[in-house]
Parts: sequence; structure tokens; C-alpha cells
Amino acid sequence: MGFRLRLALFFVATLVTVQLLTAGLVYEVTRHALISEGERQLTANARAFEAQMDDISARVAGNVEVLSLDYALRSAIAERDRGTVLSVLRNHGRRVGASRMLLIGLDGRVQADTAGATPPLTRFPFPDLMRSAYMRRTAAVVATDGKAAWVVVVPIYAPQPVAMVVVYVPLDDALLAHLQHLSALPRDLELAAQLTPGHWSVVARGDRHAGMLASLVAAHQPLPRKPRLTVVDGQQYMVLAQPLQQPASSRPVMAVLGYSLDSALQPFRAVGIAWGSLLALGFGVGLLGAWLTARSVARPIESLALAARRIEAGDYGAPPGMPRHDEIGQLAATFASMTAAIRQREQHIRHQAMHDSVTGLPNRAAAELAIDQWLAAAGSAGGAVLMIGLTRVPDIIKTMGHALCDRLMLDASERIRRTAVEAYLARITDMQFMLWLPQADEPAATAVAIHLLDALNLPYQDTDVTIDGLPSIGIALAPADGSDAATLLRHAEVAQFAASGSSAALSIYDAATDPHRPERLSLMGDLREALEGSKLSLHYQPKLDLGQRRIEGVEALVRWQHPRLGWVPPDSFIGMAEDTGNIHRVTRWALATALAQAKRWRARGLPLQVAVNLSARDLEDRELPARIGALLAIYALPPDCLTLEVTERAVISERDTAIQILRRVAEQGIGIAIDDFGVGQATFAYLRHLPVSELKIDQMFIKHLATDRNDQIIVRSLVDLSHRLGYRVTAEGVESQGALDYLAAIGCDCAQGYFIAPALDVDGFAAFLTARGGTVGVRTPP
Amino acid sequence: MRAAGLTVHLNDSHGHAAGNAVVILTPAQPAADSAPAPLPATHVIDQKDETFLPYVQLLRPGDRVVFRNSDDTRHHVYSFSPIRKFDFVLRPGESSPPLQLDQAGIAAVGCNIHDHMISYLFVSAAPLIALSDRSGNASFARLAPGRYTAQVWHPQLYPGQPQPSQPVTIAEGAGTQMLSFTLSLIPDPRMPMDRGRLDY
Repeated sequence: MGFRLRLALFFVATLVTVQLLTAGLVYEVTRHALISEGERQLTANARAFEAQMDDISARVAGNVEVLSLDYALRSAIAERDRGTVLSVLRNHGRRVGASRMLLIGLDGRVQADTAGATPPLTRFPFPDLMRSAYMRRTAAVVATDGKAAWVVVVPIYAPQPVAMVVVYVPLDDALLAHLQHLSALPRDLELAAQLTPGHWSVVARGDRHAGMLASLVAAHQPLPRKPRLTVVDGQQYMVLAQPLQQPASSRPVMAVLGYSLDSALQPFRAVGIAWGSLLALGFGVGLLGAWLTARSVARPIESLALAARRIEAGDYGAPPGMPRHDEIGQLAATFASMTAAIRQREQHIRHQAMHDSVTGLPNRAAAELAIDQWLAAAGSAGGAVLMIGLTRVPDIIKTMGHALCDRLMLDASERIRRTAVEAYLARITDMQFMLWLPQADEPAATAVAIHLLDALNLPYQDTDVTIDGLPSIGIALAPADGSDAATLLRHAEVAQFAASGSSAALSIYDAATDPHRPERLSLMGDLREALEGSKLSLHYQPKLDLGQRRIEGVEALVRWQHPRLGWVPPDSFIGMAEDTGNIHRVTRWALATALAQAKRWRARGLPLQVAVNLSARDLEDRELPARIGALLAIYALPPDCLTLEVTERAVISERDTAIQILRRVAEQGIGIAIDDFGVGQATFAYLRHLPVSELKIDQMFIKHLATDRNDQIIVRSLVDLSHRLGYRVTAEGVESQGALDYLAAIGCDCAQGYFIAPALDVDGFAAFLTARGGTVGVRTPP
Repeated sequence: MRAAGLTVHLNDSHGHAAGNAVVILTPAQPAADSAPAPLPATHVIDQKDETFLPYVQLLRPGDRVVFRNSDDTRHHVYSFSPIRKFDFVLRPGESSPPLQLDQAGIAAVGCNIHDHMISYLFVSAAPLIALSDRSGNASFARLAPGRYTAQVWHPQLYPGQPQPSQPVTIAEGAGTQMLSFTLSLIPDPRMPMDRGRLDY
């Protein structure tokens, strides 16, 4: 139900209710007034009825009095002349309208009866009437033979009382009608007599009779002695039963008077009809007015509801203007300002969702959206994503706090904006910006990147500190490095990560060197399979003892024959195995395989030294020394046939644990060699704390040893120093006879390199040995 | 033997003294020596101011009565009584011839012109008879002791009712004894006002 309808209904219902209540009230008041009026009228009517009966008595008695004065009658009575008496009585009876006249002797016996119904000398049935007749006028109602009569008793004096004359005046319908005609008696009048004990019946009626007695009898109600409300034939009547003056021995007779409320209400009916018409008119007018009022209230509310639904759907168009000054006008105004506020807030929220709060730049989500849109619109035009990272930001936050870092980033964003005005700039993470150069190729992107580095390399000057953000930039090109924003951003970030470690601080994404490319993950699974399925193999690079000119040992190198990719270089999967924790298994496999091979060689009379490379991660494995000891025991090999090679970086990074593990290995009599010595940070001072038995000089110093004086001086010094400290020295990467000769000349212990032999598989190594003379001890040609 | 007296007091049911009542004492044993009958007397019933005077007249059988008109109007005196029927029309100042009443009984006398005029002639041979005075007393003197019956008649006694009576014993030397009656009376028909009230 609509608001309008409810409002209108409420008004109308109130109107009708009030009107009906008023009408009911007025009706009740009128009815009560009429009832009171009816009671009063009935009581008055009852008295009037009595008075009229008295008048009849007076008239009848007066006539009889005149009759009694007649001398002839007196003498007839005195002389008991019955015939004369009867004729005189009949004559007078006609005059007064009597139906019957009696002459009663003083002894109470009937002496004459004009009706002839009473045998002479019968006792008069109402002696009490005779007794009172001497004292006062005596008249009473009696019921005989189913009829009521008004009996008047008059004494006859001659001159003393000699007899009584009794006059019967019939109380019949005609008399009642006559009485009603003469006076204001009620229209409804009945005369009731109890002809048989306990049973009332009507003996006479007025000119109108509603059957009041019949209704009362039917309802088993007593005759009301006071006015009472009774329903007669469906109509409401006030009924009063008035007892009449009666002799003691007569059957009871009552006058039943009625007062019709409906008749009394008759004059008010016209008023009621007028009232009803007025009510109907008022109802109609009220309905119309209520509807009009409700409409003027409901219309604007409905339009506001419509506006609210539009807002719900996201349409913030201005709500309908309402030039009103009432409450609804105020509501509409409030509604409009609320809509505006919501619109503002939604814009703000949307901006926040897509922008960085510090720099005001678009965020990552916004950037991806923008780039994707550009790529979709520009088709194959492409572009370049520059990922600009400030590498030192995490350190700056930790030391200086977020506030300063925010200022630094804001400053950086402004510098980038100044440098690349046209490009799309976004802040991707706390420490990274992204610059989208539409349609830029690699040279253009590189040029922009160099400009950016120049701008960002200028230190940021805060109030009292100067900070170097250490910028680095990675570049990914579309569509070459990715056809969607997410891929481009990822690749640019990989490149930026690579750049952060290089001196140039700038890197272009190269899928081949991407350590995070997806293939690596599958490669890792393949490596695990290779370890289990013996797809890995060891190659051995001979190690020449320069003093004795014979192959003293081999360095075992891991080779992987991938079923699909072919030979996978160690650099590709060793680093990956280190990252994923699989290096322990590779090392264990290599140790086991190398020692097994050494055992086989020994069985053939070749007591070769075997060197196995350890990863830095292996130096975290505390079970390594025990495991190596166990392997040696399994193959019944002396510990000095094994050498473990570690890089400088490995021993420096994991200091304490690594040193402990190396000591426990060395204590077993196993040799420890420092690989790639000379390019790292290891110093002799540090090496002195390590159980090192051998140094392997990095090939960087050996490559040009035959010709480079400086290298010669460095190598000779290294060898000298090592020997003085008690280390054996091996030169790696020997690629020429000159180098080999020089090394031999300065007393280097061993040499290794392509010039002697590359890494060979077991069969190749066997062939190599055969070519050199079949034995380990065969001297190489000079 | 000493004689004694008796006073009979009469009043109506309202306690008013009832005058004009006739009281007859009848001894239980008739007196042996009855007094000799007195000589016949003539009584005059006057009519004055439309009233018979007296209202009640005691007579002995054989007494005569004369009706005298002292008013300025005519009177038509009549009676239908069984002891003597008569009627005279008396002009003003005229008197009727003497009327002898030989029979004991009561004759009601009326005037046919004036209905409220009534008088009673009480004819009785009873030796002990008295009329009550205005204060309702009827007195008897020199009564021989013994048992008597006192019988009362009044013109306004209810018609058709038996006459009230009481036994009374006269004691020797007891002085004057009292006996009282309460009579149930109808209104006095002589009173014009009363008749007016009854005048329908």
C-alpha cells in the first residue's frame, strides 16, 4: 500500500469514525431523552386515564343521583313496586349509557336487574362497594363474563337509605376509542383482565393496539408497574400497566399503556436523513481533500525515492529540484547535498584505490590497467616499461623512518617526472617506480634510462642529511618481453633486480639469463629425476704435477645430459640447486661417484688424487665430515686421496660453521683446496685460520701468463708466498706451453687447463692416459 | 334496696361524641311492677332553616306529633315508613294536623323539596329509654340492681347492620356506672356540606 493511499485512508477513516461516533452519541442521547419522555408521558397518561374514569363515574353517579331524587321511584322502592322500579332503571340506564342496572336492598340482596340475569334476592358480589357508597362516591372496574365494566354504586335515600342502584358502564373498545378521541391518551392502549387466575387476556383495546400484552405474555414478562422498554413486534415500546380501582372480589384488571419509541423517533428521521446526506457529502469532500493533500505530500517523496534508486545504480545526477519551503523541500535539499557528498567521496575512494597517497601517482593496479589499455589500443606499436628502483630504500626506512622515505620518494617522483615529461609514471611498490614509454624501442628506452639515472644519482638533500637512493633501472620491451602489463612489469622487475647488482645500474631484460623464468622450475624437477635416474655424470679434468711431470690427480666436474635440452652447463643448474636446497644431494652424489671411480682406478693401479667441489651451502651441512668418512671407509680408500675444493666466497660468508666443518674434514686427513684464489676477498691472514692444504690460482691470472709481465710477477709472488705458508699451489686455466713452462720454472706444484686436457669422461680419460703413456707416472712431452 | 345510675357514653369510630343516639335498657327479668302507662303527649317537630328539629324524637305509642313550618319556604314533609305513611305540603308558618302514632317503630321523615332535611320519630314502649345528648351521654337513674342489655340505635348506623348491644350488670349501691359504645356511622345526611360532597 502506497504512502499516498495510506495517508488518504487515515484521514478518511478518522473523519468517518468521528462522524459515526457523533451520530451514535446523538442517537443515544435522543433515544434516552425519548425514553425519559415516554416514561413521563406514560405516567401522565395513566393518571389521565384514571381521571377520565373518574369523570365517567361523576357523570354516571350524577345521573343516578338525579334518578334517586325522583319521588315516584322512591315511593316505588318504598312500596316494593318491582315493575315500576325496573322500568325507571332501564329508562335511566339508557341515558347514562349503562349496559345494566341493579337495585340492591340494604341487606345486599339484588332486588331488580335490568339485564334479568340475576335471580331475585341473590347477594350482590361486591359488598365492599356498597359499604363505601355511603361514605364517598364509589366506582370500580370489574371483570365479568369476559368483559370489563365500570361499576358505579349510588345509595337511594327516602329519606333514609333504602336501597342502592348499581350502574354497569361497559369498558369496551368503543369507550376506549372515545376516551382516546377526547384526550391525549396514548395511541396504544389495552385493557387486560385476569379472567382465569394467572392468565391475562385483553378485554378491550384502543383504536390502535400493537399487541403489547400478547408480546409481554409471549416473553413471560410480568406486567410492568413502572414504564419499561419492551420489544413489541420488532418495535421498541415503553409499556406501563396501570392498576385500576377495583372491588376486592373482582378479577384483576389493568390498563396497559404503550409509547412507541419508533413513532416518537419519527420526527427525528428527517433530521437523520439530512445528517446522513451531510455526512456523505463531507465524506466525499474529505476523501477528495485527503487525496489531494496526500498527493502533494507523496509526489515529491516518490520522486525522491526514484532519485535514491538512481543513486543506488551509480547515477549521481542532480535530484529533482523542489521549490518548496516545507519539510519536504528541506528533505530534498538535504538529499541533493548528500548526493553531492557521496559523489565526492566515491571519486576520492576511487582515486585512492588507483593512486599512491604519497606521490599522488597511479599505483600498480592503475598502471597495469593503463598499459593493457594502451597495448590493446595501439596494437603492435609496443613500448618500453622502465622499472626504477631505489635499492637503498629498505635501509633508509630502517634508519631514518617512513616520513623521510616518503619525502625521498616524492622527490624522486618529481625528478622522474621532470626527466620524462610525456611518459606514464606510476609507483609500483615502496621502492619502485614504473615508467611506461609508449612506442619506445630499446635505444630510446635506454637513453631515457640513462637520463633518469643521471637525475636520480644526485643525492637527495633533506634538512640535515644527504641520502643516496642508489637507483637501478630494468627495462622490458613490449611486445618482445611480454604482451601484457603484468608480464612486462615482472620482466622489468627481474631486469631491475639484475641491474641493482651491476655497476651499470641499468639492465635490459634477457629471457636467457632470467633466473626466474618458468623453465627453471621444471628444470629443478628434472634434476631431481636425474639424480635418481643416474642421468648426471662426472667428468674428470687431469691435474699435472709439474715437478714430476705426471698426472697426479683429477678434478671431478658434474655434467648433466638433459633428455630434451642436451648438455646443461653446471652454471645453469648448480646455482639453481643451491637456491632450492638440492645441492646437498648433488654433492653427495658427486662424492660417492668420484670415490667409486677412484676405487676402480686404484684397482687398475692408478693411485689418482680426486678433487670434488663443495658449494657454500655444503659447508652448512654438519653431517658432511661423517658422511665423507663413511664413504672412504666403504671404498677402503686412504683419506689423502680426496681433496675438497671450496671457493673463497663460501668460506668467508659462512664463517664459523664452515670453519668447523672444514676442520673436522681436515682432521680426517682429507685435503682442502681454495678454488679460484686471487679474485675474491680471501686474504692470507684469513687463510691462516683455515685447515687449507692447497690453493688454486684463478685462471684470470694464468690466461695471459706467457706474455703478461704483471701476471707473471703476481703468480710468482703467490706461489712463493703459498709455499712459504706451506700450501701446495695449482694453476688453473693453463692454455699454452709458455704458461706451463713459466709455472714449472717458478716452482708451481700443479697445473690444470685445456692445454693439458679438458674435462673428460671416464673413457676419454682412459684414452688420454693411454696416449700419454698408459700410466699416471708417464711424463708429459717437454 | 338502693337504686343505682348508669351513663352510657357513645362516640363514633373517629372518637367524636355521638348525640341523638337512642339507648334502651332491657332488664334480664322483667320488673314485676311495671309503671302505669303515662298519658299520650303531643310533640312538635319544627322546621327551621331547612332543618327538622329535633333530629330524633322519642315517642310512646299513642303519642301525637305536629309538624310546624317556621321557614319562609314550603316544605313537603313525607314518610314511607311502615308504621305510618303520610305527606303534607306546609306553607310558611303553617302546621300540620296532629298525627297519632300507635305502632312502635321508626319513621324516617323527609322533605321532598329539600333533600338534606331528615328527622326520625322513634316510637317505643320501652320503660328504660334515653337519648344521648350532644356530648354523647345517655343517663339512667334509679335502676334496680341486676343484669340488663343495653341496645343502641342511631340514625347514621350503617344500613342493614344489626343494632349494637351490650350486657351490663347494675350492682347495688355502686353509684353511677359507665358504659360506652363505639358506633360505626355513615356521614350525617343533614349537613348541606356533606351532601354537597356527595352531590355528584
